[in-house]
Amino acid sequence: MTAHAQPDAALLLAAIGLPFAAAVLVPALYRLVGERVAYVGAAVAAGSLALVFSQFDATGSVVVDWIPAYGIALRLYVDGLSLLVALLASGVGVLVFTYCGGYMHGKDAQPRFYASLLAFMGSMLGLVFAADLIALFVFWELTSLTSFSLIGHYSTSEDAVYAARKSMLITVAGGLFLLAGLIALYSVSGDALGARTFDLVAMLEEGEAMRAALRDRGLFLPVLGLVGVGAAAKSAQVPLHVWLPDAMEAPTPVSAFLHSATMVKAGVYLFGRMRPLLRSPEWEASLLALGLTTMTVGALLAVAADDVKALLAYSTASHLGLITAGFGFQSKLGAETGAFHVLNHAVFKAALFLVAGIVAHEAGSQLLSELGGLRRDLPLTAGVAGLAAVSMAGLPPLNGFHSKELLFEAAYEFAAHDGGLAWAVPVVAVGASAFTVLYSYRFLTLFLGERRAPHLDDRAALEHDGDDDGDERGADDGHGHGHSGGHGHADGISRPPLPMLVGPVVLAVAAVVVGLRPGLATGGVVGRAFEAAQFAPGATPGEGFSVAFPTELKPAVVMSAVTVGVGAAMVPVERRVRDAVRAVLARDPATADFYYDGAVDGLADLSGAVVARVQTGRLRTYATWILGGFAVLALAGHAAADPDLALELGDGVTVATVLVSLLAVLSAAAVVRAASHVAGVLVLSVVGLMIAVFYILAAAPDLALTQLLVETLLLVLFLLVIKRLPPFYGEIDRLRAARDGVLSLLVGAAVFVTVLASTAPTPDPFLRRRLLELAGFGGEEPVGFVTELGGGANVVNVVLVDFRATDTLGEISVVAMVAISVVTLLRMRDVGGAVFPADVAPSGDGTAPDGGRAEGEGDDATDGPESHDGGVDG
Amino acid sequence: MTGVVLATVLGALFALGTFLVLRRDVVRVVWGVAVVAQAANLYLVTMGGLAGIAPIGKFGKEGATGVTDPLVQALVLTAIVISFGTTAFALVLTYRVYEEHGTVDVGELGAAE
Repeated sequence: MTAHAQPDAALLLAAIGLPFAAAVLVPALYRLVGERVAYVGAAVAAGSLALVFSQFDATGSVVVDWIPAYGIALRLYVDGLSLLVALLASGVGVLVFTYCGGYMHGKDAQPRFYASLLAFMGSMLGLVFAADLIALFVFWELTSLTSFSLIGHYSTSEDAVYAARKSMLITVAGGLFLLAGLIALYSVSGDALGARTFDLVAMLEEGEAMRAALRDRGLFLPVLGLVGVGAAAKSAQVPLHVWLPDAMEAPTPVSAFLHSATMVKAGVYLFGRMRPLLRSPEWEASLLALGLTTMTVGALLAVAADDVKALLAYSTASHLGLITAGFGFQSKLGAETGAFHVLNHAVFKAALFLVAGIVAHEAGSQLLSELGGLRRDLPLTAGVAGLAAVSMAGLPPLNGFHSKELLFEAAYEFAAHDGGLAWAVPVVAVGASAFTVLYSYRFLTLFLGERRAPHLDDRAALEHDGDDDGDERGADDGHGHGHSGGHGHADGISRPPLPMLVGPVVLAVAAVVVGLRPGLATGGVVGRAFEAAQFAPGATPGEGFSVAFPTELKPAVVMSAVTVGVGAAMVPVERRVRDAVRAVLARDPATADFYYDGAVDGLADLSGAVVARVQTGRLRTYATWILGGFAVLALAGHAAADPDLALELGDGVTVATVLVSLLAVLSAAAVVRAASHVAGVLVLSVVGLMIAVFYILAAAPDLALTQLLVETLLLVLFLLVIKRLPPFYGEIDRLRAARDGVLSLLVGAAVFVTVLASTAPTPDPFLRRRLLELAGFGGEEPVGFVTELGGGANVVNVVLVDFRATDTLGEISVVAMVAISVVTLLRMRDVGGAVFPADVAPSGDGTAPDGGRAEGEGDDATDGPESHDGGVDG
Repeated sequence: MTGVVLATVLGALFALGTFLVLRRDVVRVVWGVAVVAQAANLYLVTMGGLAGIAPIGKFGKEGATGVTDPLVQALVLTAIVISFGTTAFALVLTYRVYEEHGTVDVGELGAAE
């Protein structure tokens, strides 16, 4: 394998962008071609597959600028691992879209479904090629988002909504862990690579230096943990596997896609991708623990499952555990296991899900306890299922056998090298694999044994669980109507349509071919994927690896034999095994769901409690929280920033300004203490007038004019309205006054500190200087920009009517809108929905003239700033 | 530039405004909003500096040491007008609330919801 051609950026971008573009067009296409849009989707997937395939001989990265200011680029990296997962995602995508053409027939909301599915595939392709940490994270979260939409496709089903939210919460939360880990990598990259970078390829090339730098900063274990949690959430490792079984609420083709080639593979892909960077004894220990636990727990749960899709979902978790454990080993064998099983698992698991979909579609149930003996009704499907299940069980001569053998070899080598406690690794691996054999058999009971299905209307055998193989009643020979009530009429089960068969058959053939000729895979893309997970970029020997059927008695062969033996021995006592697992699961604390539901319910309760306290529907409460929050945050911020407070009297503060502002404060205090509304309004006016005087003293004549005008208008308006309101009530009770007083003082203190802190360091008043220069104030020669072009000598006015004329226009419209609203509020009371005031018959209680007055005042105010601006201009 | 005196004045105005906003009487709440708005404007103006002459033409240019900030004044002018609009609207809304509910007590209004 010598692959040194450079990848082509345009083709790669096209491969990633094509599904997104198609997703946008799906609604329009659906209107044109209807349900056949599924085959358009298949064509798009095929297009992406072809584009990815065109890069097959390439290795290396291409860079497309994205946010150059931050050094973030859409860096696309092609190597064996990204090619392997990209080929799987687009290849299985073709089959899944084709299958959808049959499966989704007559189902709701198809445009949304296909758009999400296409966007999902695009995100997955983007994810595997992205080699920039930020781009990687963006695509990572995109897969979470799109899968949320797919899992919750049946949005009226409560289970689907629950499942979608669960997967979203877990995978997105995991994504946040990943983000923290990636940022830590970025921050350390400066030490190892000379300059901080988001470039993952550069980090992989200098894996040794990166590890040393991480350890120097004490960040190695945190990064390992953060990246590990992110990848484990995505790849459904125990105990974060809980979203995966629920995700089967999605339409079955989506499950097939999520569980085989995408989504969960994103997690193990990340393990493979990060392996050259983080490989270490800690990496080995944590991934082995994680992977083997998941493998065992997943297998046990699969044995206990009754729903066939649940069985497959748990089995997915179990096999992802196998891949994780594989990537965990530091040895070459480990990387071989991981890379090869990524392919093998995708092949047989996609086939099995599609088979499950056919069974559910045709037989009307997906419960193992209701189904059995369907081999004569669905012969081709049964054949496919047989091959895929044998592969899943890891039996020769199918593809699953080879990767499981590699795992056993890696485990044995690890144990033989480390000794002692390390022997637990091969033992656990064998144990979990024995349960894999058992649940693979359980899956096949769909087709073996007594013939049962809801569509056969034969519920007599519901009590049995289909484990009594060999009882072939043969009563159903395919005549009559299944639903007519008679015993065992086969017409209830029809053969699946052709599009639904293409996928499973192709996958089963692939399983057989890879099983018989593993060299086709290991010498090709899987070999290169192994190298990508084992060596730094550019250091690959380009040999791949080879596996073959064992010809001598190696330890791994013995382990395989034990696995099959134990698995087969458990078949007769299968029900007892299942009941034992179910008995454990019946206790809440033993299930991860218990903790997930507890956490989510707890959060919901907490949120409800907070809302009940903060949002009471009473103005006081809102004001208290907002003002108190502002004051506390501002004070805390100042305390943290420790600003330079300007504790001096300040420029321009004269006796006059001090007196005027003190008067303003005293009048404001009088407003608070006012015994009647009229008194309050009058002293409020005094506050305004004092502020107007203050503006005069501060050399701001325009402000003073406006303020005076506004105060006069407000006084009139207040007096008019207050005449019609009840005089005064609401004596202040002492306790409440004290509480409000404390809050007010807090707000006052926050403002005090903020004023001091924010005015202390005088920034360069660039705009002010420039404005004054333009007005001819600063320079020797008056420039006269303001006077000549603005046509006025008053800078403030010129700013308002020339520089920001649009803004002033907006301001005038606001005042006009207020005027209109005032009229509407005052005059439309008795109209009840009529829109035109002309139709109003004033109710005679004096509202109408009042409103008229208010309108006039509003208009005056509108003219306020404008008129004196105009006056100065003229 | 602002100094302790003005900071105290602004703090006091904000505190009094806050106290008014927390009252039961809607009219007083409107007053409180008006006071806080005035104080905020005052704050912005003081940030522009108090010393100097008005930024108008050749007005008092002889012997003047500096000019106050025209930009801040232009901004605050807008703010004054808008806060007038807000206050007027709040006031009329108060009146309408009284017509509809027969009370301007926030406590009673909240309980009525």
